Amino acid sequence: MAKGAPAAFAGFRRPDAQVRALASRRARAASQVLVYMRTMAVFLIVWALIARITGNAILLPSPLAVFTAIVGLAQDLELFLHAGISFARMVASLVVGSLLAIPLGLAMGRSELLDRVVDPTIEILRPISGIAWIPLALFIFGIGNALPIFIMTYAGFFPILLGTIAGVRSVDRRLIDAARTMGIPERTIVTRVVMPAALPSLMVALRLGVAASWTAVVAAELIGAPSGLGYAVEWYRELLMTPQVMAFIAMIGLLGYVCDLGVRALARALTPWAAA
Amino acid sequence: MIGAADRANRTAIGFALPLALLALWQALGTTSQSARMPIPTHVAAAAFELVRSGDLPLAIAQSLSRVFVGFAVAALIGIPLGLAMGAFRSFERNIDPLIESFRPIAAIAILPLAILWLGTGTSAAVTIVAYAAFFPIVINTVAGAKGVNPTLLRAATTMGISRLRVIRTVIVPAALPAIGVGLRIGMGVAWTAIVAAELAVGAKAGGGGSGGIGQMMFVFYAYSVELNRIIVCMIAVGLVALALDRLIRFVLRVSMPWTSK
Amino acid sequence: MKSAIETEAMQQRANDKPAQHAHAPTEPAKLCLAHVGKRFGTGATPTIAVDDFTLDIAQGEFLVIVGPSGCGKTTVLNILAGLDRPSEGSVALDGCEITRPGPARGVMFQDYALFPWQTVRGNIGFGLRHGTPGDGLSDEARAQRVRDCIDLVGLNGAEDKYPHQLSGGMRQRVALARLLANEPEVLLMDEPLAALDAQTRLILQDELLRIWGQDRPQASRRTVVFITHAIDEAVFLADRVAVMTTRPGRLKALIDVALPRPRNDATRASAQFQALCQDIWGLIRDEAYRATVTSTSEEGGSKR
Repeated sequence: MAKGAPAAFAGFRRPDAQVRALASRRARAASQVLVYMRTMAVFLIVWALIARITGNAILLPSPLAVFTAIVGLAQDLELFLHAGISFARMVASLVVGSLLAIPLGLAMGRSELLDRVVDPTIEILRPISGIAWIPLALFIFGIGNALPIFIMTYAGFFPILLGTIAGVRSVDRRLIDAARTMGIPERTIVTRVVMPAALPSLMVALRLGVAASWTAVVAAELIGAPSGLGYAVEWYRELLMTPQVMAFIAMIGLLGYVCDLGVRALARALTPWAAA
Repeated sequence: MIGAADRANRTAIGFALPLALLALWQALGTTSQSARMPIPTHVAAAAFELVRSGDLPLAIAQSLSRVFVGFAVAALIGIPLGLAMGAFRSFERNIDPLIESFRPIAAIAILPLAILWLGTGTSAAVTIVAYAAFFPIVINTVAGAKGVNPTLLRAATTMGISRLRVIRTVIVPAALPAIGVGLRIGMGVAWTAIVAAELAVGAKAGGGGSGGIGQMMFVFYAYSVELNRIIVCMIAVGLVALALDRLIRFVLRVSMPWTSK
Repeated sequence: MKSAIETEAMQQRANDKPAQHAHAPTEPAKLCLAHVGKRFGTGATPTIAVDDFTLDIAQGEFLVIVGPSGCGKTTVLNILAGLDRPSEGSVALDGCEITRPGPARGVMFQDYALFPWQTVRGNIGFGLRHGTPGDGLSDEARAQRVRDCIDLVGLNGAEDKYPHQLSGGMRQRVALARLLANEPEVLLMDEPLAALDAQTRLILQDELLRIWGQDRPQASRRTVVFITHAIDEAVFLADRVAVMTTRPGRLKALIDVALPRPRNDATRASAQFQALCQDIWGLIRDEAYRATVTSTSEEGGSKR
């Protein structure tokens, strides 16, 4: 987690101070990696011991068995195939969800009237989680690609919408005032001041949307899709091939983490002025 | 005077869109060819029927009992763990990788494992709920404990208060609002998780399993294709979610009167 | 509620020439505030932020408004800027009533209000690019003006940095440069140095006077209305100091600051400077004390 720039320094840093700061950051990152590996090592050892004690390979396979399963699945590309399918679905649903939520959120954040008209409907639909839609959606779409994408779009829509509204509302009033004193017309203020100022909050909303979508992907695929990570987990469970089940679960976790990193990187690229 | 009229105006506008959509739905439904298409009036009738027969309240009660048990387990483990992590940096550094590694793995993904270990009964469902609620609770507790102004802590230690006492008397009260946030989020996640778990179990156990609203929804889908009843269940899921949120907000407000939310 | 006669009398006064003050300006006033009042909140007890405030500001004058916290200084500035409308009275620039914000009355806000997604250069040129000050100017002319402003305030070398990479003093320079780039007739400044440490503040007071052009003749300088709660700052910078009371904010006194320009550290050490500071403090002291013991909040109803 990056700390804010120290306010005491003037904007200019001496080169060697910068080098020192970079070196200390690298050292800290390195030590964090070491701690991570140490903890995971302890975890694996405890797991191996318990697996040895219970002795039931179906109930609790050893870490080695899981590792072997991962390698096997990776070698015949099955792991990546399902991962790719789930990931593609999530990207599709995020695109659709954002295209719906962001313009609506911008409009609702700016217009009190629109907010009053639309918000109650949003608040009625929001508590009905995406997962509760699965039976109905199953009937409408059947098993296939459309179901997970629909559920995931629905799940991601609300965090993105609400986050966008909050972002627009929280734009510093003084920035808008400053623009007005410069004789800038209202429409330009919306595009050149409000939207850039709301962008950091939008990135946060996007992160939440990604998380919500990714959670929904598993549930949707577990029940209503012929492919994808959720499907694979359930498939191997029915075959009682637990190492493979765990392999796919690990992949779900890893990919979720990677997606979050991706959005964070996007946020840093688009909004370098916001604290990470 | 202006205030009251304004407020009445607001509520009226608020109902406009939902009512309009409802009317549209009704119109589309009655004119549609498909006999199965759900219509608001049929949905209302189905709701009445399900409540009267006691099926819906029973299912909700079953789901709620699992939610409360799972939630309690998550809180009993998560809050002390979070406080310990917040208070002792080295402990946090060592445990955090585990938590951060499992956090992206949604509770529902663990369900097949839970079924493998515990069968398709209540214990699996409760475990899923506890797993789901655990992460928001622990993460927010850690944030709350860490977010205590270090100057406050220094002030306390210069007064000669022992480390453990500081935790109890300074960190815990200061972290309570954040813990409250974690509990609220955790409750919401718990409810979503139980619906998902029961739905999945219902799908896999072929209509067996031990009830709950998620399972009821699946039965209506798979066996009777009663779309109206499915929609009733969906609405019930939404209403219960709202009620749970209000409930926990009320409990938090009552137990922490000094916070503004 | 005012009676019909009172209202008529008010109208008469508003139409009359502004009253003469301690240092009567020889030219017509640049900015006129006539019986300006501002109320917040509806209902039985609205908060009166400003009450019957009358003041004329001359062209090229550096006028400082000083007063205890919460006395309505910022409200007066907002009204001059056009960001707020007065509940009573009128406010005018060169005889034309002020109804909305515009580049002729540039504002420098307390927390700089720099656009965080723009560099220094982008911030300074923002009004030129998107607002009326840039009308009729070629891109090259705009870029040149931005460069000139950067030179003037001393920001060379930092043109491509973002606000979050700058210190407080530098951000203040950017805000000032952005203000000047739009070539306003009047500069309105709301406690611009309040967020800086004492040493930086002294430096920037000198810089402010230099940039404003304190050694130029009055007719060629820009008019400044500056708000502060620091009395020494007020006396150092001002041609005249307007002292305000606590809520409701009224004009308590108008003090002439006859210190010679250019002003510098020697000015701060002079006996005349000290005496002026003491005089003003004497006027404010009771108000300031009351502000520390009554629990009024800045917005919302008065709790007195």
